[in-house]
Amino acid sequence: MRRGITRALAELSEGVRIALSTLLGNRLRSFLTTLGIVIGVMTVIAIVAIVQGLNQSFEAQVANLGTNSLYVQKWKWVMLESEWYLLRNRKPITLAEFRAVERESRLATAVSPMVFARATVARGGVEMSGVTVAGVGTGYLESAGGAVSAGRFLVESDVELDRPVAVLGAEVVDVLFPGIAPEVVLGQRIVVAGRPFAVVGLLARKGRFLGMNMDKRLLMPFGTFGRIFGMKRSISIAAAAPPGKVTDLEDELTGILRRARAVPPGKADDFSINRQEQLLKIYEGITGALYGVAIGVGLITLVVGGIGIMNIMMVSVHERTREIGLRRALGARKRTILAQFMLEASMVAVLGGAVGTALGLAVAQFIALATPLAAAVTPSAVALGLGFSAAVGILFGSWPAWRAANLDPVEALRYE
Amino acid sequence: MTPLLVAEHLARVYRVGGEEVRALDGVSFEIRRGEWVAVVGQSGSGKSTLMNILGCLDTPSSGRYAIDGADVAGLSDNELADLRNKEIGFVFQTFQLLPRATALANVELPLVYRGVSRRERRELAEAALVSVGLGQRTRHRPNELSGGQRQRVAIARALVGEPSLLLADEPTGNLDSATGDEIVRLFGELHARGHTILLVTHEPRLAARCPRAIRLSDGRVVADGPGREVAALGVTDAVSA
Repeated sequence: MRRGITRALAELSEGVRIALSTLLGNRLRSFLTTLGIVIGVMTVIAIVAIVQGLNQSFEAQVANLGTNSLYVQKWKWVMLESEWYLLRNRKPITLAEFRAVERESRLATAVSPMVFARATVARGGVEMSGVTVAGVGTGYLESAGGAVSAGRFLVESDVELDRPVAVLGAEVVDVLFPGIAPEVVLGQRIVVAGRPFAVVGLLARKGRFLGMNMDKRLLMPFGTFGRIFGMKRSISIAAAAPPGKVTDLEDELTGILRRARAVPPGKADDFSINRQEQLLKIYEGITGALYGVAIGVGLITLVVGGIGIMNIMMVSVHERTREIGLRRALGARKRTILAQFMLEASMVAVLGGAVGTALGLAVAQFIALATPLAAAVTPSAVALGLGFSAAVGILFGSWPAWRAANLDPVEALRYE
Repeated sequence: MTPLLVAEHLARVYRVGGEEVRALDGVSFEIRRGEWVAVVGQSGSGKSTLMNILGCLDTPSSGRYAIDGADVAGLSDNELADLRNKEIGFVFQTFQLLPRATALANVELPLVYRGVSRRERRELAEAALVSVGLGQRTRHRPNELSGGQRQRVAIARALVGEPSLLLADEPTGNLDSATGDEIVRLFGELHARGHTILLVTHEPRLAARCPRAIRLSDGRVVADGPGREVAALGVTDAVSA
């Protein structure tokens, strides 16, 4: 037993020694052999790192919409081009319908109307154009997500009295009040679309979402918004569900809105209830396809690389026929020869896989630095790269190794 | 005492293109421990086939072959490999050294397949190289050694595992006559130390120096006796032919 273990260890270290000396003895050949694996693994690792990076940042962004939030809107977030023609004829969503939701919903923990416009905001000599101005209710933060970093949010009296008060996004503060402490900003006067406003609160920084700047915005009571921009446009209704009750709330809202909009039974809804899941779903569809392509490309390259390894191992077995015969004569068993060549094939492949993984991660980091794309390095990607290449080595090395092990020792020794 | 090798009616039949070739056709002999025996014969006489069977690289088509009383027939491939490792020390005409390995590593090789620890392998291999007069050349690679030195390394490799039998196939075939004589002298020394040696050769001159020789012709034993006599027979054969 003990002898068996010593023998196995001796054969293993002999195998590693032979493999290393063959690899180092044919450096250029080993490098070219493993190039296919290097490129295959590099491609897969780079794409996987970037897709995972995108997923992470997208999920973080979509979380901005609130996991439990529903948005009642005229438009669907995700729609086919053909649907656009149908949806454009829908009646606008009105404040009356928001009131109905506010009055009748038992599930919603918060609701808020939302209506948007673009306007120029100014303070003293500084002007900032293209700011997204939103008219909202007191339930906005809870229903649509977000937090106040200084001061307060809109309160009941602001909304009831249509007060000219504003809560500013972080970038608006950066431009209009550069380097000024938040406490000082509160209470300051600004001009929105030509009307004077008082700053009552500042929003926490949110970053970008789907290319939109979430910090270049200003919130005001929706009544005040109506006085400035008019009330004709279609509004959105944001509603927050208790955890796990999103679908129930969706059903409830559907009922309330069908009644409020007098949709006859049997007719389709003439409004849409949107949620972040829909965005995640298409996004996952896209990245899933990208994953598929990456894995497809990677597999093809790995197969090509594997064939390269098989080819060079065949050559190696051929070149070393007499050595194989000698080893058999000196007492090497078939499986010892088999293991020796398998070891050599997997060492070439894993070496290629390691180089490929390192290069792939480097490419991903480079892309992350040079472009807005993110890259995430996960241990699973590294394990994937190394595991795949080892599998390729074993898979494609087994046929040449089997041939080597089953050479007739007499023939092999005589081989010229 | 049982003979070391017993061959009884050994036959080996090859099929070449539908035709049967009887490379060995009923060969019988015994070899006792400590003997030095030459197997002579012209090419095609069945020498190589016999050597492959005696070396457990090949199995006979019929007949019995036993090493130290144990029948070789019916052994698995693994068992044959282990038998070669323990009982047989091969010396080849073309030396068969690993070109990239040092003399020491070449000599260690049979011990690797026996599970001997690294340090013990090193000690045994060094001792074996000293015993063939190469104690100063252990770190040299084959291409840094002369032909005679290479064959000495190969003989050290054959000796290192202390096998029952040294099996040498035309060991002087690739050497000039002076170097060949040195190698033959080395075999003489090994014989004197008690090793059992079987030397396959086509040179009558070499067979003449062995105490015993077996002559093969067309796969049969045609002579078995003192080396000088059997070798002389070969010369007259060659003349009459």
